[in-house]
Amino acid sequence: MENTTNNSEYMLRARNIYKSFQDNEVLKGISLDVRRGEVLSIIGPSGSGKSTLLRCLNRLETIDKGSIEVEGKLLVKNGLKGVAEYAPKQEARNILARMGMVFQQFNLFPHMTVLENLMEAPIQVKKQTREEIQPVAEALLQKVGLYEKRDAYPSRLSGGQQQRVAIARALAMKPDIMLFDEPTSALDPELTVEVLKTMRELAAERMTMVVVTHEMTFARDVSNHVIFMADGLIIEQGRPAELFGCPREERTRLFLGNMLH
Amino acid sequence: MDKLMETVLSILAGSKITLEIFFLTLAMSLPLGFFVALLRLSSIRPLAILMDVYIWIMRGSPLMLQLLFVYFALPMVGVRFSDIAAALLAFTLNYAAYFAEIFRAGIQSIPRGQYEAAKTLGMTYAQTMKRIILPQMIHRTLPPISNETINLVKDTSLIYILAMNDLLRVARTIVQRDFDMTAFFIAGLFYLVMTAVLTAIFKRMEAHYGKYDE
Repeated sequence: MENTTNNSEYMLRARNIYKSFQDNEVLKGISLDVRRGEVLSIIGPSGSGKSTLLRCLNRLETIDKGSIEVEGKLLVKNGLKGVAEYAPKQEARNILARMGMVFQQFNLFPHMTVLENLMEAPIQVKKQTREEIQPVAEALLQKVGLYEKRDAYPSRLSGGQQQRVAIARALAMKPDIMLFDEPTSALDPELTVEVLKTMRELAAERMTMVVVTHEMTFARDVSNHVIFMADGLIIEQGRPAELFGCPREERTRLFLGNMLH
Repeated sequence: MDKLMETVLSILAGSKITLEIFFLTLAMSLPLGFFVALLRLSSIRPLAILMDVYIWIMRGSPLMLQLLFVYFALPMVGVRFSDIAAALLAFTLNYAAYFAEIFRAGIQSIPRGQYEAAKTLGMTYAQTMKRIILPQMIHRTLPPISNETINLVKDTSLIYILAMNDLLRVARTIVQRDFDMTAFFIAGLFYLVMTAVLTAIFKRMEAHYGKYDE
């Protein structure tokens, strides 16, 4: 990866991220770049640190060392003593607001209807009025095909529907980058399809996306760049055609062999 | 018949102080309990430990003893309260401890994913607590809160020992005067009516908060 100084091209840059839980080093110096409109897929066996990496990008976990830059603004940098140093509270909050997140377990608010789930953060955080946000929220529900469910509570929806609502909820905050943490891993195969379809549509609209996934077909067909991780390291990365077509590393070949049978 | 009517009216008058203690204790111990639960869960260790000790003392010793302490022991060191204030202080401190433990368990039962979702949407800690965690906590803690509230109705009878003319004391006075058990039955009926009303209210609240099931 070239180390250019032209920051505006990159939506997200991470350099040498280290992260340990107690004595267990989960990330051992990870660097990545995501360009505007690019879809990056991160694949790898469970326990490889790929979910932790994603959670570090939006500060659900704090990193020990390294730097993360979002749209040219430093969320965290290497401080003087080699310890990660985060941006001041309000600045960090503004930077993080550029990123939306979709979780494996959906994490919808169960006590709110679908529409309320979408409107909550714009009203509370962006101080938008109901009148402003409701048409936006309804349009997003149209887009994910769940307008009819706007007044339903999440418990009444299938897992696939809940995940599409979760995507719409993140989009309601108008993020520039969407992070997906194994968004289909908790779903039955037939429900996976509808969620992947929504994600493909987002990618087609040139949304910048970072996707941790076990869906090899999605990674191969939709992403511009694929990272294969194992044991807290990036083993191999490249364009999907290269990585899936002729993997250079033995680890990658073994993993892909298992995943694709 | 006149005598029965007079008994009922006397007990009704006695229930005024019972209800007063009940409502005021509830109004003060619920918010205090919530506050204690938040402190108990805070990352400031000394505060959390202090709350642990407070809860331990309040739940670990008899409410009767706590009442006697506030009423008789504190005045000896110069801290004096009116009858009702002494009773309210003891009841509130005691019930807040129980409510705190219920709220703590309720807050901890909310999955981490709810906090994380709120955080990634940009919500502050205060917004997350108020809009996301509290409403779900209330839903989950209503049954145990309902239990404690019904206990409180009956525990108010402990002020009997403070020589305040509550429902039970009035009834006993009548029984001792007339050698007639009727007053006890009527007193029992009063408690039953109060708990029945409370049960109905909590049922409605549970239905209201349960319109989503998880």
